[in-house]
Amino acid sequence: MPTSGEQRAGGLETRVLFRHIDEPGLHTIATYEQLGGYTALKRAFRDCEPGELVSEFEASGLRGRGGAGFSMGKKASFLPHGDMAKYLCCNADESEPGTFKDRELMFKNPHGLVEGVAIGAMAAGATRAFIYIRGEYAEVADRLDAAVAEAYAAGYLGEGVLGTKIDVDLLVHRGAGAYICGEETALLDSLEGKRGNPRLKPPFPAIQGLYDGPTLINNVETLMNLPNIVNNGPDWFKSFGTEQSTGTKVVSISGCVRRPGNYEIELGIPARDIIYGLAGGPPEGRELKAWYPGGSSAPVLGPEELDLPYSFEALAEAGSMLGSGAIIVADDTVSIPHMALRTARFYRHESCGKCTPCREGTNWTVKMLERVVAGEATPMDLDIIASVQENIIGHCLCVLGDAMAMPVGSMVRRWRSEFEETIARARESGAATLDVEPALAAPAGAGA
Amino acid sequence: MSAPGKPITIVIDGVEIAASEGAMLVDAAKHGDVEIPVFCYEPKLGNPVGACRMCLVEIEGIPKLQTACSTPVRDGMVVYTQTDRVKETQNAVVEFLLVNHPLDCPVCDKGGECPLQDISMGWGTGRSRVIEPKRHFEKPIPLSPLIRIDRERCIMCYRCVRFSQEVAEDEQLQLLERGDRSFVGTHEDRPYIGPFHGNIIELCPVGALTSQAYRFRARPWDIEDAGSVCTLCPSQCNVKFTVRDERVVRTLARDNADVDDGWLCDKGRFGFQMFSSPDRPLTPQVNVGGSLEPAGWEDALERAADGLAPAIGRTAAIVGGGTSNEEGWLIQRLLRGALRSHDVASTPHRGLGRAARGRLAAPELAVATAAIDDAGAILVLGCDPMHEMPIVELRIRKAVRRSGAKLLVATERPTALDGGAAIGSAGCLEARRYAPGEARHFIEELTEAIVSGGGHSDLAGFADALADSGPLVVVWGESMLAGDDREETAAALLDLAGALDLAGADGGGLYEVPLAANGRGLREVGCAESFGPGYAEAERGRSADEIRAALEAGEIDALILADADPVRDFDDPDGWKRALAAARFVLSISMFAGASAKASDVHLPAEGHAEKEGTVTHPDGRLQRVRPSVPRPGALRPLWQALSELSARLGDDPGAGTAGELFDLVAADVPFYAGITVDAIGGTGTRWQERPGRPAASASAGDDLAPAEEQDGGGRGASAAGQPAGPADFGQEGELRLGTYKDLWADYVAEENPALRFLAVAQTLELNPADAERIGVTQGQRVEVGSGGRSLIATVALRERMLEGTAFLARGTAEEPAGALAGARIASVAPVPEPEPKADAGEGGEGGADAGEGEASAAPAAPALIVTRREPASW
Repeated sequence: MPTSGEQRAGGLETRVLFRHIDEPGLHTIATYEQLGGYTALKRAFRDCEPGELVSEFEASGLRGRGGAGFSMGKKASFLPHGDMAKYLCCNADESEPGTFKDRELMFKNPHGLVEGVAIGAMAAGATRAFIYIRGEYAEVADRLDAAVAEAYAAGYLGEGVLGTKIDVDLLVHRGAGAYICGEETALLDSLEGKRGNPRLKPPFPAIQGLYDGPTLINNVETLMNLPNIVNNGPDWFKSFGTEQSTGTKVVSISGCVRRPGNYEIELGIPARDIIYGLAGGPPEGRELKAWYPGGSSAPVLGPEELDLPYSFEALAEAGSMLGSGAIIVADDTVSIPHMALRTARFYRHESCGKCTPCREGTNWTVKMLERVVAGEATPMDLDIIASVQENIIGHCLCVLGDAMAMPVGSMVRRWRSEFEETIARARESGAATLDVEPALAAPAGAGA
Repeated sequence: MSAPGKPITIVIDGVEIAASEGAMLVDAAKHGDVEIPVFCYEPKLGNPVGACRMCLVEIEGIPKLQTACSTPVRDGMVVYTQTDRVKETQNAVVEFLLVNHPLDCPVCDKGGECPLQDISMGWGTGRSRVIEPKRHFEKPIPLSPLIRIDRERCIMCYRCVRFSQEVAEDEQLQLLERGDRSFVGTHEDRPYIGPFHGNIIELCPVGALTSQAYRFRARPWDIEDAGSVCTLCPSQCNVKFTVRDERVVRTLARDNADVDDGWLCDKGRFGFQMFSSPDRPLTPQVNVGGSLEPAGWEDALERAADGLAPAIGRTAAIVGGGTSNEEGWLIQRLLRGALRSHDVASTPHRGLGRAARGRLAAPELAVATAAIDDAGAILVLGCDPMHEMPIVELRIRKAVRRSGAKLLVATERPTALDGGAAIGSAGCLEARRYAPGEARHFIEELTEAIVSGGGHSDLAGFADALADSGPLVVVWGESMLAGDDREETAAALLDLAGALDLAGADGGGLYEVPLAANGRGLREVGCAESFGPGYAEAERGRSADEIRAALEAGEIDALILADADPVRDFDDPDGWKRALAAARFVLSISMFAGASAKASDVHLPAEGHAEKEGTVTHPDGRLQRVRPSVPRPGALRPLWQALSELSARLGDDPGAGTAGELFDLVAADVPFYAGITVDAIGGTGTRWQERPGRPAASASAGDDLAPAEEQDGGGRGASAAGQPAGPADFGQEGELRLGTYKDLWADYVAEENPALRFLAVAQTLELNPADAERIGVTQGQRVEVGSGGRSLIATVALRERMLEGTAFLARGTAEEPAGALAGARIASVAPVPEPEPKADAGEGGEGGADAGEGEASAAPAAPALIVTRREPASW
């Protein structure tokens, strides 16, 4: 649709995916087409070869927006050529705490996703595509269903798309509310009707995925970028962002900020511009203390890192990650040990239980952190907590274990003195504050 | 198993190790004497899952540690298993595993033989930093009547769940809940009932799954292992008895990839209690005034010799079940020699003639059990492996699931294989039903369809699948040969094999499921009315049916029954009772004195397969040794010695001083066993077809033999060829065609082993729901089944996948034997009142467990533990 980004908020926001996001009726095919929708699909199906599209995606430098940040084009190029049944799965199981960008994208612009999925499927040679959406997004799924029906009726999906010989079938599948099903191989098992447990890799889904067929799995936002790349070319896409983090990114910002919400930014702008410039920073009189730069699985950063460019490479270098692009801000009213406990509890609850370090490590960590906030721990326990996180990282079947161990480990290392003070204070007061939720929830706005 | 990859070299901890490409690192390491600890890895269960993370090792060039269980080796791979990084990780995984493990080793049944203990000591720090409370479950609770589960001890290795889902494919065990709340269980806490479920006890690497029959019976330092072969069915699985204080207290698998793949069925696993059953006669018995009284061996053998001596030329013998090759050979020698009789039967109906048997035994048509693994297609014809040869069922499922073998089923009665395998595998392509007794017509039609290239035939799909499949294994049941058209059926089978080019086909062939556990061995050592040892020509004797008639008619005087209970298992039980009463002398030999033995004049106690020394022959031609694992209880003597002595008393001393010498005599008498010694058979057996320099078995047993008609013309001439019995007259006038089937649990094993008693089978009339509706009976109803003045009482069970117009009864039940109606058509099915104390406990459970197959009865709420059996849900 858009040929260039629309600048807003004094240049801090660069709206590409969000260009018409608040246009009334965008979720209907009429409005979407009126605004230029489905032109990329027409071009792709009528004028492009699949291989050509994959090369374009690779050349654009588009990296996965779901968390891992792997080159989308490269992933698509791993799929073998040939006649076998291939699949595309759109991962819309947006469950990472603090992340709510896909919800807005899909709810307001469902056709943008349908078009992206169809183009992605065509490029990958997949004739069957699925959108695996978390069950809690019931309204969003209804919208997607309606959009898919409209797209079928308009000939954008189904047998012989737009009169070509290419078939693309698309089905919206609702998950049942497990975080682990956002892990790509657990998603496949769940989609196949099995218990959603991660699979051992290799084989990777590109080789042996859904129903053992080659499968391309991409996040909602990743796929929604495809029509723009097809319309405007890879160079246009690369004109946004940094060399290694091209394009724009929808950032979900929540926690202790004045204006939480989704903002689309050009990758590489300073994090401070997002947190303070766009979201307004912490409420009056409070100071930023810590922030998750990319969802709750990212190692936590502090005020010192606020001027880092918000890009995949800069955050990785700082020992954290851009992840799903969800910034959660904690100000000086937030207790870090409570935040660590809250984080660990989430991952214990969501661990599938298949592999040992994650199943036992998340549960053990929670129990130890509960003792910390109840004043029943000693500083030696902090060493054990830190060591347990080390023992989890890199040793699990999938990354869920790491997703707890990285932020919790980072908090214990960085704010160790606060953990020690918490223990001492809780012991003195004698009042266990075990179930007091941290102030984190107070400013609200963080959906998902 | 697939062929080993090309030889390569890898380096583990600085030492070069020869390996074969593609082997998993954990297996390759073993060849270099490097042990990498594992919990979840078990190749028998299929692909590795990498769940326990115990086997993480460092591989040069890969930044993260890798699971050795799922990493195939490549040439030049450099692996470290002893670095600080690896050791710390191993320590960490052990520590994690013990976070919630109760460490109740002193009171745990697994203590001393527990992989978790061993690995914790070997690869853990020996110290834990965990001071948190552990998770709790109600424990131990029954997972089934045979297994108790202690969920606190479980380390979530997934083995039992994978067994249920990917080996037995019963899908009953699941991992429920998630994360650290995960536990192994079944849907709605129903008991896990399946004929193979005992294997999960052996798979469990901790004390979470324990055998109800073995719990707290022994500690590992109290016990000894002793290897033998299970002779309770033709699978002849290799077993390892756990012996404490000269008693068998447990049976484990003795992994033999050529026979059993390391699995056992529950009958073999739990069927050890009968060795020390109080019902078991441990001395010879003689008939005193109508009842059997204990006697000394001298007395009993003298009476036996005295009873048989006057019956020269007028004695018959029926040899059954688990009789060893040596015992069978001695009996036929006694009959054909000293007693000058040819009436030696080892099947309930007339056996196949010499020519057809010889052809079917031709090595070119034979196929080894392990070849099923690599079959391109498997045709299950006229048998139900789950009931008749259970371990073969697992083999077939494995071939379908793991190698994508095509599976086709053609049987009278629904089988558990009909539904095929679960998602992710090809499953059963097609399951066909033909009417009871119509195997031959089906085979002929199929051959026709294959020869004509399919085309118009209704069996075209079947034919196509078989024609274009790669190695094809036809698993066929001897029970197809029960009818009068046995010779024609065998000829049809051989024609089918010809049409499919099975002779000499690499990896393909005919695989017989015999009726009796050692059916093949008995036949090969000459226990058959139509041929002698090695399928040698012999004067034709009477078949079992003819023996019954001849006894009744006074044409013969004496009968020897060895491990055979015709009153219970054969057709016409009343006829057999009359025949036994009419016989002047009956010598019975068996472990338990069954219905027929009670009518004998002398009863000799037989050894069980934990006590016996001898050989048996697997249906694929593998000779295996049954070895004494415990001392013979009571006054038992080796049966081969008793038979030798009896023979000597009748004037013919076989002259064997030991069981080994006796086997040499057998081998000398069976040409294709020539050169085989007990040492050559060894612990894992040897297939005679694969012996180097074996005499061409087709010469001794096949192609040059006379055609069938010469052999088996006499007596019962009217073959079914003259009586068209196609679908046309089938189900006419409301009559039902009756078939019988062998139920896995319908025999003395289920009754004499207390652990298995809940599985014992009461007579059941299986009907298609449409027929039941027409007749006006419902699921679970008690009915009187009648035909031509004969009748029996049975409980109705509805099966959707049965052919309309047919009905089935189970053979081998203790009460209401199916033989009473065998061969008849059912003319009437009438409801009868429940027996007085209305307590048929099995009923509700049966209906409940079978639900999902469209049964008419609404099952009552399932009790906490349904103590009854059930067919797989896929029926």
